[in-house]
Amino acid sequence: MAKAVGIDLGTTNSVIAAWEGGEAKVIPNAEGARTTPSVVAFSDTGERLVGQLARRQAILNPKGTISSAKRFIGRNFDEIEDEAKAVGFDIVAGPNGEARFTVRGKLYAPEEISALILRKLADDAGKFLGEKVTEAVITVPAYFNDAQRTATKDAGRIAGLEVLRIINEPTAAALAYGMDKKEHETVLVFDLGGGTFDVSLLDVGDGVVEVRSTAGDTHLGGDDFDRRIVDHLADEFQKDTGIDLRQDAQALQRLFEAAEKAKVELSTVSQTQVSLPFITADATGPKHLTTTLKRSTFESITADLVERCLGPVRQAMQDGKVSENDIDEVILVGGSTRIPAVQALVRRLTGGKDPNMSVNPDEVVAVGAAIQAGVLKGEVGDVLLLDVTPLSLGVETRGGVMTKIIDRNTTIPARRSEVFSTAQDNQDSVEIVVLQGERERAADNRVLGRFNLTGIRPAPRGEPQVEVTFDIDANGILNVTARDKDTGAEQGITISGTTNLDQAEIERMVREAEQHRTEDARLREDIDARNELDAAAYRVERSLSERSESVPAHERSRAEMLIGQAREAVDRQVSATEARELTSELQQVEAALSVARAAESSPGNPAESGERDVDGVDADDVVDAEFDRG
Amino acid sequence: MEPPDGRSTDAAEDLARDGRPGAEDRPSSAPPDDLERRLADAEDGWRRAAADLDNARKRAARELEHARAAERARAASVFLPVVDGLADAVAYAKQVDDGLAEGINSIREQAVAALERLGYPRIDAVGVAFDPRIHEVVSVAEDREVPPRTVIAVTRLGFGDVEHLLRPAGVVVSAAEA
Repeated sequence: MAKAVGIDLGTTNSVIAAWEGGEAKVIPNAEGARTTPSVVAFSDTGERLVGQLARRQAILNPKGTISSAKRFIGRNFDEIEDEAKAVGFDIVAGPNGEARFTVRGKLYAPEEISALILRKLADDAGKFLGEKVTEAVITVPAYFNDAQRTATKDAGRIAGLEVLRIINEPTAAALAYGMDKKEHETVLVFDLGGGTFDVSLLDVGDGVVEVRSTAGDTHLGGDDFDRRIVDHLADEFQKDTGIDLRQDAQALQRLFEAAEKAKVELSTVSQTQVSLPFITADATGPKHLTTTLKRSTFESITADLVERCLGPVRQAMQDGKVSENDIDEVILVGGSTRIPAVQALVRRLTGGKDPNMSVNPDEVVAVGAAIQAGVLKGEVGDVLLLDVTPLSLGVETRGGVMTKIIDRNTTIPARRSEVFSTAQDNQDSVEIVVLQGERERAADNRVLGRFNLTGIRPAPRGEPQVEVTFDIDANGILNVTARDKDTGAEQGITISGTTNLDQAEIERMVREAEQHRTEDARLREDIDARNELDAAAYRVERSLSERSESVPAHERSRAEMLIGQAREAVDRQVSATEARELTSELQQVEAALSVARAAESSPGNPAESGERDVDGVDADDVVDAEFDRG
Repeated sequence: MEPPDGRSTDAAEDLARDGRPGAEDRPSSAPPDDLERRLADAEDGWRRAAADLDNARKRAARELEHARAAERARAASVFLPVVDGLADAVAYAKQVDDGLAEGINSIREQAVAALERLGYPRIDAVGVAFDPRIHEVVSVAEDREVPPRTVIAVTRLGFGDVEHLLRPAGVVVSAAEA
């Protein structure tokens, strides 16, 4: 089946997303990037390039490289004369006064350029998804008029796409956050992209989104912030050395790259290092640009850019007749909203509300458009609401710890089994304690139920195999069964309502586990190490008793001494470090004993191969945790 | 309802709802003759779920491949400034001390070789035709000796190939024909 996609056709960059496997996913282009520059080039050899490739040859072919087609789509030439002066390619009036690009004497409509971008996005996505992309939801700014919307739809048609719907960018952002499902809310969408700034106020609820007001600045964005850093660094460098790096194309390119990197870093750290060694040289020697850029410096050199966002927000609120108290939700769109000062401004203007920014702000519009495409194709509705286990489920094992069988957040229905064994020789029953929770110690978790499996045939510890199966059905009803693989004896218990826990209770238990994570991990480590020590002591003791006469006296006494120490250490509940030391000594003794035995025993000795089997099982299926005697 | 071509700014957008189609017509106490249909529905649903799982597995495998490549590129690109800095140091040292220049150049060569071993061969060929898949134009020069759109000089080393590009080479190109 052909795929329906959502496309954010941006001024500087475009993004495509598709509804796949129950969620909207951004699809990378052929070059592996999740965003594609909205640039198209026509080379002198008649080649057409789109995206990053077009951008790379722009200097060679300035008249044939068209960017920002979105600024001209559906517009008349007389409306965009000023814009036309700011670009490197030629724009003229078409037969009916509409804006047209001229490249090598040929006229192109902006929608033809946009169509080439849409075609590349759809083709690349089709290759990635393994199915043809034929239908799309395309987004436009909320302020686009009928002519601009029609032209965008035409661009889709020229690209061979059936345009399912043209939706507003802020609406798509609200959809990405599922806000259409809210009762009735006022949402402010703050969109600061690479080169444009838009703010919109939406009324959402009951599946309807209405744009109350929009405002913006068509020439404000992340590129301005980069430019400020470049100027700041170049000015400082010029003050120190008298050399203006802006006159050197190569140095300027490196400076721009460093500036963008510094800007991105300053969103998460308070200062960053800018280092461009040997950036230039004069008669006195090489010149290095090495400096520290503080976030506070960055904020002071860009303060006026941030302040320029203020007017449009106030304007939109005034036009929409909305005060800061009326705003229920704030959504951040565009990469530049990652700048802490921008976020602070948004908080200030919206009464301190925490903005929504969990969806990547570069991708949120495309994600929302893909959701809309999925809904229109009936795909979104088909998704079954699946429940998950709110907390982990498991059993209590040796040393009073919880061994998890089903991890929290596992989608149900689910079924998991593990094989356990006995902790003592000739143990004839095991007690199964069913636990729910995230803590390592059994006693810190909830006991959901307990039962005994009896009638286990007498055998050395570790040999019986008890398979414990946890099975939760779609309603959250948990069936726990324990089966002795040897006799087939089976016991079980049914526990209902494992999923309908109070949300606050779940959160409390998860939080407590988080708080105690370190000490719990240490506790678990200690118990695991002691269990291992105990098992090692047991194995050595058994080897000794099996070959009572053939062990040299000094070896025997050393082994017995170590066994005694091990038992005493387990009783004393020593730490993992101490337990491991003793375990490794015991392992050496064990190895020595088995080498000696291998030398004396004939191949195919039944006792030997029997023990190997148990060891083999131990490594594969049997969890290295054993039940306490029931 | 499909809106007409283009719509005004302040019109409300009717979003399609994501109710499950056919959810209402599944009565809890279905008449017996409904059983067959419900069984068919259930079987269809089960087959779809199994297919979804299979597709999810394949997608996960593909995404893992993609994530690996992306992570390798991310890790490798951290070293690009080091290579660039060494290249600049060599260029300067050549004017001062040949021995020093030679020494630094061998360090630079090691750094370049390290990136090549990570799967990103250097892009430094001069005299080849400009290819936007691996080249980025830094400047254009008049040069009657070579055909138009030819790489005259590499100002910044590129890494990778057409399939896996880490960074395009920064190049000086002969002017295109007017």
